[in-house]
Amino acid sequence: MKDFMMIFIGADYQQLGLSPDELQGRMGKWFAWGQKMEAQGILKGGEALVPTIKRVIGKDRTVSDGPFADIKEIVGGYYIVSAESAEAVVEIAQDYPDWDLDGTVEIREIMVFDQ
Amino acid sequence: MEHKIVDHLFRHHYGKMVAILTRFFGLSHIETIEDAVQDTFVKATLKWRKQLPDNPEAWLTKVAKNRTIDLLRSIKAEKQRVDKIANGASAIQLNELFLEHEIEDSQLRMIFVACHPSLKPKEQIAFALKTISGFSTKEIAAALLTKEDTITKRLNRAKKAIVKNNIQFDFPSPNEVQDRLARVMEVVYLTFNEGFHSTNKENLIREDLCGEAIRLCKLLLKKEKFRSGSLYALFALQCFHASRLESKTNDANEIVDIREQDRKKWFFPLIQMGNSAMNKAMDYEDVSIYHYEAAIAAEHIKAKTFVETNWEKILKWYTELQKLQPSTFNLLNMAIVNLQLSNFEVVKDILETLPIEDLEQRAYLFYGCYAEYYAKRGDFVLAISYLETAISKTSNRLEISYLIKKKLQLELQASK
Repeated sequence: MKDFMMIFIGADYQQLGLSPDELQGRMGKWFAWGQKMEAQGILKGGEALVPTIKRVIGKDRTVSDGPFADIKEIVGGYYIVSAESAEAVVEIAQDYPDWDLDGTVEIREIMVFDQ
Repeated sequence: MEHKIVDHLFRHHYGKMVAILTRFFGLSHIETIEDAVQDTFVKATLKWRKQLPDNPEAWLTKVAKNRTIDLLRSIKAEKQRVDKIANGASAIQLNELFLEHEIEDSQLRMIFVACHPSLKPKEQIAFALKTISGFSTKEIAAALLTKEDTITKRLNRAKKAIVKNNIQFDFPSPNEVQDRLARVMEVVYLTFNEGFHSTNKENLIREDLCGEAIRLCKLLLKKEKFRSGSLYALFALQCFHASRLESKTNDANEIVDIREQDRKKWFFPLIQMGNSAMNKAMDYEDVSIYHYEAAIAAEHIKAKTFVETNWEKILKWYTELQKLQPSTFNLLNMAIVNLQLSNFEVVKDILETLPIEDLEQRAYLFYGCYAEYYAKRGDFVLAISYLETAISKTSNRLEISYLIKKKLQLELQASK
């Protein structure tokens, strides 16, 4: 088994101005997905990220505050799951609740170093 | 572990929080307040992905209180109040606002603000759905079959009118209460009708509108000073109509008219609630259109089958209604009832003089009525031609397929 990070990009609820009812519905789906992964013992952790961004860039270490790009490119959170392969994580990601909001899930394998 | 959050908890809580915070900060800060409350729900959504709190409502309330303090800090002019909040009279004041009956009180104030005469009727409905019921602009647009842009404009105009007229977050003065209450009932009535008569089944937004209207009515009935025969009758009317909501469309999402509806599916607890509200209405002396409309709805519900409907009685109620508040829709309904009673001359008289333009987008009902008139008289050619006009006058998909089905039936009858 390997560890993978699923990075959720775009579909920022605040920016999209979702209604309280829609938010509640989406929350239910996220919760159900999390429960499902936990029951399968594959969910190892994850966090949601605040959408305000501060960047320190380049040689001059220039500090700048957003906005940097359109909301479709903002990372909203991540999960770490264990799976056989990236293809297996693609399967897991089918339950991601925000496909219809044009969300993206980026799947990255977590590098393991020799001891 | 099985967790279940009450349906529409967020939506209802949104209305409560906006009302409480507005009572504390005043209507001039309503936009800041709405943004802050919205933000609370986004945060809750992210937080609760992993773990639902044991008591979601208590959690939301706690967050709302914290939000109040945050807002106090961000609203500059209120800075001195922050210290007072931490210790002192305002702290007590703030906590009291979160007691159940004070929340209701705040929401009632918001209803009166929404229905203030300086707002136009359409702005009143949009504003009420947004601030009291927690609908988004998109949901309001879907519910009212309007463009999102239009709703945004209505909401902005409503907010401007509130500021411009310096409307206070308060109940109307005693000498104004009856007039203002009449307008509140009208807005509740229109909201319900939008839900009941629209055939927009997608998103279940139709039921939501009816549910909200009933909820507002219940809220008003809780206060003795707002109770009246009209308010009880309005509540009864909504209960009677709502009991039939499920059977108005079938599983294939087709319209089922009252003749074909499965009467066993009508929701009995709502009918009972309607009956008891109607009895209470009789304890008061006032009479309103809601009384007659409720009486008509009750007659339909009383009939065990369509053929057993007491059309004479229904006609009597419509006649009373027409005396109290004449309307073209009433006349059309009276034509339809007279058709059931085979009073063909009366039907023709009514239809020939009816100002169709008053019916606006529901003009197809007029042509539908004419079609039925000719069908009953055995003139299928004219009946079919009127149905075709009716079809051309409606844009709603469900209504079109309903009318086409009727036309096919007529064509079948005609060929026999």
